Amino acid sequence: MTYHTLLFILVATAAMTAVMARNLLLSAIMLALVSVGASLILFDFQAPWAAVFELSVCAGLITVLFVSAVSLIRNEEGKVKDLRARFYAMPLVIAIVAVATWFYGIPFFDSLKNCALSGGRNNSLGSILWDIRRFDLLGQVSILAAGVFVINSIFPRRKKQK
Amino acid sequence: MTTSLLAYLLIPLFTAILIPFAARKRQKLADILATVTLLAGLINIGAILFNPANIANSFAGVPEDGFALLMIFVIYLVALCVTFFSAYFIGEDSKVNRVPYYSLIMTSVAAMCGIVIAGDFFTLYIFVEVLAVTSFAMITSDDSAKGLEGAIKYFLLTFPASLLILFGIAFLMLTAGTFSFENIKIIIASGMPVGPVVFAVSLILLGFLIKSGVVPFHTWTPDAYEGAYAPVSAYLAGIVTKISGVYAVIKISIMFRLFEIRAYHTADILMFLGMLSIAVGALAALRQKEFKRMLAFSSISQIGYIILAAGMGTPLAILGAIFHLVNHATFKTVLFLNSASLEKGAGTSDMRKLGGMEHSMPWTSWTSIVALLSTAGVPPLSGFWSKLIIIIALWDGGAKTYAVLALLFSVVTLAYFLIMQKNIFFGKPTEASRNAREVRPAMLAPVVVMCLLIVALGVFFPYIYAYLVETIAARIIL
Amino acid sequence: MINSFTLDWFFITLIFSAGLYCMLVSRNLLRQFIGLEIMSKSCLLAVISVGSVTGNLALAQALIITMIVIEVVVVAVGLSLLVKNYRLTNSIDIWSLNNLRG
Repeated sequence: MTYHTLLFILVATAAMTAVMARNLLLSAIMLALVSVGASLILFDFQAPWAAVFELSVCAGLITVLFVSAVSLIRNEEGKVKDLRARFYAMPLVIAIVAVATWFYGIPFFDSLKNCALSGGRNNSLGSILWDIRRFDLLGQVSILAAGVFVINSIFPRRKKQK
Repeated sequence: MTTSLLAYLLIPLFTAILIPFAARKRQKLADILATVTLLAGLINIGAILFNPANIANSFAGVPEDGFALLMIFVIYLVALCVTFFSAYFIGEDSKVNRVPYYSLIMTSVAAMCGIVIAGDFFTLYIFVEVLAVTSFAMITSDDSAKGLEGAIKYFLLTFPASLLILFGIAFLMLTAGTFSFENIKIIIASGMPVGPVVFAVSLILLGFLIKSGVVPFHTWTPDAYEGAYAPVSAYLAGIVTKISGVYAVIKISIMFRLFEIRAYHTADILMFLGMLSIAVGALAALRQKEFKRMLAFSSISQIGYIILAAGMGTPLAILGAIFHLVNHATFKTVLFLNSASLEKGAGTSDMRKLGGMEHSMPWTSWTSIVALLSTAGVPPLSGFWSKLIIIIALWDGGAKTYAVLALLFSVVTLAYFLIMQKNIFFGKPTEASRNAREVRPAMLAPVVVMCLLIVALGVFFPYIYAYLVETIAARIIL
Repeated sequence: MINSFTLDWFFITLIFSAGLYCMLVSRNLLRQFIGLEIMSKSCLLAVISVGSVTGNLALAQALIITMIVIEVVVVAVGLSLLVKNYRLTNSIDIWSLNNLRG
């Protein structure tokens, strides 16, 4: 319980740091920390497969993508005039949201928990993926195909000019 | 998920993967492959829909959802027109790379079929994401800065909307334990406390309303349509944004019928947003100077009619919404393809630079007239019947103010289209239009076919109405 | 005493609002993507929390794996749009995206 709450606090803090960081590289690394925290939470929820996916794909691959994008646009970073005051106001806004959620959200979530149906079917992940959600795998195939075509279309291989 | 319709998804996906290998040496092979696949699918689905034996026994032999079948027909039809058109539109010197372009079109056809045959909200969500991802690349396929801008604006609005849908799915999993359409209907009918379920479905509904470009969230639509590569904007406006947003809204509203009075306020808000889109879209279209941008606002206004009818939620209104969705796909495709022809023939689609185009481009001019009269709802064209059904359903359902307003804004539609027609096609020829030439007959063929379809849907309306009643309206009430 | 589920959702709301705030405030396109990513992380946590409380963990895992695959493709596509836009216009400011007006 305490470990669980600490993990959530870690994720929330990392998310806020990622938003407030002045340096884009630091933001990208904080985003990776958010992913690692989320992955630990998944482990804590007894969901190892999802956690491994999250750790390898989100904390690994997406961070690499973000860091390479940051390094590609490195010299542009200073030119965008973000209003820093707005970012410094962020802890205040989040605190207001936290207080509001504490008073109004928590009774709502409690009432949601009461109407939760426990449909505890003891299926293994494999049987769910293959039998019940088979159509989703088709969706995964098509989104991967779409991703390949999109990258191919946005960055075409240059034809050799004669 | 409907297993018997799975082939309509798998075959385009297979073609999409085949195209890069087959067309590596000869680029022309890409458009032949795409066109042949779509034509075969269209003939196949047409054989089910227009089979005399099926019509005779009032579609009792068609077990599938009539809505899904009709939508697959429209998807294949619009995609075929667009691929055939762009096979001739893409010139030798153009920056568009044929192979990924056709692969993307085929993938998006597969994704749209996936959306239509999906049986639960999560599958729907996956295919909506596939469709969104492919449409960004199609918008930017001619490498222009405008296209990129439209794509980025679309991106920044559509993915927060997807997150709303995901939160809705999480709530559904919590409160209903399932997210398949059938089970949700059963849970609502069983008289359990439906408040949280309505909340979850409303979140999903909000996400899809953002994706379909209803008025408070409409800012991305004109930008994306104007910036997109010309044939792609016909594809987007005709079918892609309709399937990714409006289709799900209609599907949910069919479910809301079971909520009856308990979901009354959600339905009220839906109707209000629909009326707002009709008004804002029509009034904004009146003062546009760019042809494609005006068509985009007109598209927002027409979506408003569909949303208004979906919010009404009576079987007749839903029937009108579905029929208007089909009609919108036909006439908007014609108008956007004509704007692409104008760009090819005269070099611009800016209304201030054009005039008197009817002499140089007579076919384009006449097909535009047919499509715009249908949009404005002039009998006996197809748009008249769908608007008539919607207005009658509104009047019957007790929303008399909305019915009168919908009728009035239909006149505004006619007004802005007549202004457009006068500026572009009639009047004195300008510098740009004197040098213009009619596009090749092959590029006119899809537009002419669509126009014939508009007239046919209007003239043979009793058959269409019978189909809609037998396969959709009669099966809504379980 | 607050139960675990309610506390989860309290933090999920906070993480979501942090991402939303980032998207609303920043003019930098890359920062917008970071905000989007944070929001989708909160969504993922919501699904697993719901799966745990309803005893449907296997289903929740199946959903999360699909969501992660989609997320990767979406981020890759978004970043490639950004890099291409940067090459064409030399800017990642969303306020410079104002060529389309009417």
